[in-house]
Amino acid sequence: MTTAAILTTVIMSLVFIVGLVFCFTQIGKGGKWED
Amino acid sequence: MAELTRERWGGRAFFLFAAMGSAIGLGNVWRFPYLTYEYGGGAFLIAWIIGLIILGIPWMMMEFGMGRLFQKGAPGVFEGIGKKWEWLGWWPVFVAFLIVTYYSVVIAWSLNYAVDSATVAWGEGTAGAANAGGYFFGEVLNLSSGPTDLGGLQWPIVGALAFVWIVLFFIMFKGARIIGRVAVWTVIIPWALLIVLLIRGLTLPGAVDGLNYYLAPDWGALANADLWFGAFSQIAFTLSLGMAGMFAYGSFIAKKADVNNNAFITSFSNCATSFFAGFAVFSIVGFIMQALSVSVGDVSASGLGLAFITYPTAISMMPAMAAATGVIFFICFFFLGIDSAFFLTYGGVIAPLRDKFGWGRAKVTAVICALGLIIGLLYTTGGGLYWLDIVDRAVSFYGLLITGALACIVVGWFYGVEKLREHLNATSDFRVGAWFDWLIKIVVPAGLLFVVIYGGFKNDVPDPGYGGYQIGPFNGSHVIWLILGVTLLLSFWLQAAKTKGLKEVKGE
Repeated sequence: MTTAAILTTVIMSLVFIVGLVFCFTQIGKGGKWED
Repeated sequence: MAELTRERWGGRAFFLFAAMGSAIGLGNVWRFPYLTYEYGGGAFLIAWIIGLIILGIPWMMMEFGMGRLFQKGAPGVFEGIGKKWEWLGWWPVFVAFLIVTYYSVVIAWSLNYAVDSATVAWGEGTAGAANAGGYFFGEVLNLSSGPTDLGGLQWPIVGALAFVWIVLFFIMFKGARIIGRVAVWTVIIPWALLIVLLIRGLTLPGAVDGLNYYLAPDWGALANADLWFGAFSQIAFTLSLGMAGMFAYGSFIAKKADVNNNAFITSFSNCATSFFAGFAVFSIVGFIMQALSVSVGDVSASGLGLAFITYPTAISMMPAMAAATGVIFFICFFFLGIDSAFFLTYGGVIAPLRDKFGWGRAKVTAVICALGLIIGLLYTTGGGLYWLDIVDRAVSFYGLLITGALACIVVGWFYGVEKLREHLNATSDFRVGAWFDWLIKIVVPAGLLFVVIYGGFKNDVPDPGYGGYQIGPFNGSHVIWLILGVTLLLSFWLQAAKTKGLKEVKGE
């Protein structure tokens, strides 16, 4: 793969991983799930 | 006295999987990768992420939040804002129903192809690769000369379509609790299959060349309005918003449960799946380029062409495991599609009808499934593909975008988005600021209308290269506006009907 393609892969992967990790660390800090 | 209550998901994970399953569909595989390549690779991804943050996530929070707040599907939400707005909840119900009538047919084709792949029915080697298009249009669809030449029903497709609707009925007739539990599997299975397909793709010669085309950034493309149209349109279509269903899915969330974080998780998971699917698709594109000595422009396709011509072409050329790869790909397609289909049918149609008329769940589910099957028969005829294109353009482009923009304007300016934000922040895992108000009031409607105006009026029904859309004195555009007009009138008719309301009993 070209350097540009590798960098795109790494940056986008980081965006999603950091975003999802942040969201999952927030679970339970606000509302209560009551069914 | 029995306690009256709204049906519930039975757990946060079930809601999240149901929402992710609705968003993650065929477009993640057959549309996103091609758009990324077409509009500048890494540069496109920047615009796409911007679109996700300023359009997709706030729009999803609005639909989840309003559904949760009013504890109703889309028509009930807008009736709650003001009786005069109820039609704006019914219009996307028609959008959802018309989409699922042909979406279910595409899922049926996937089943047909899963069977055909077992023997690589279109042929192996270069002869098979050359025959992939002819096999799809000729033998599978028996494509006629135009929309008025229906030809006969294609019975293998009819059989698969009946199977799809029977499966949908059994998933939906018990409501959200079963839907959430089924969605766990209809999300995890295609994820696992995409991983298998990626590994298969990466082990083929030429795969890396395909990935370079997929990802290499063309920064100059950022100055091109086409790139922004592509990115915003993909965000508008990928999250299953503007189809009424997310209001209903939100209405099944308990009143003290999070909304904001769920919208972020659903959106990020959907887009991560798209990005990942691009590797599975473009590794195959690179393989075809090398195997057939053709350029990327000759290979890459989007939509039906990618699924039913490009991928079968690759299967024909595979040195090993060709049949197994084909079966896995089309089973993956089935699972990608089926949870979007029950989202459209249950959240988009059945829940709003039950809210309005108080009908029993099993009965209305059976009627809607039967109706979906009967209307879907049109797309199983020789002229079905023409009608699929026309109806798709009418509802999943104009209908979805226009109703989505209007919904944001009404919530933003007439209901008062500040009230919605306070409601969301009161129970969510994290709070959102006043920026959310301006996104709903201005940015989301402007972004959606940009996509409608920029992409819509240039060419109502793009020429797919297999025929025209003339219907007597009318062309495809006339039919598109007729569909939109009739569904709008029906929406006002439903608004005028008396609301009987739903009397649900806890544990139903």
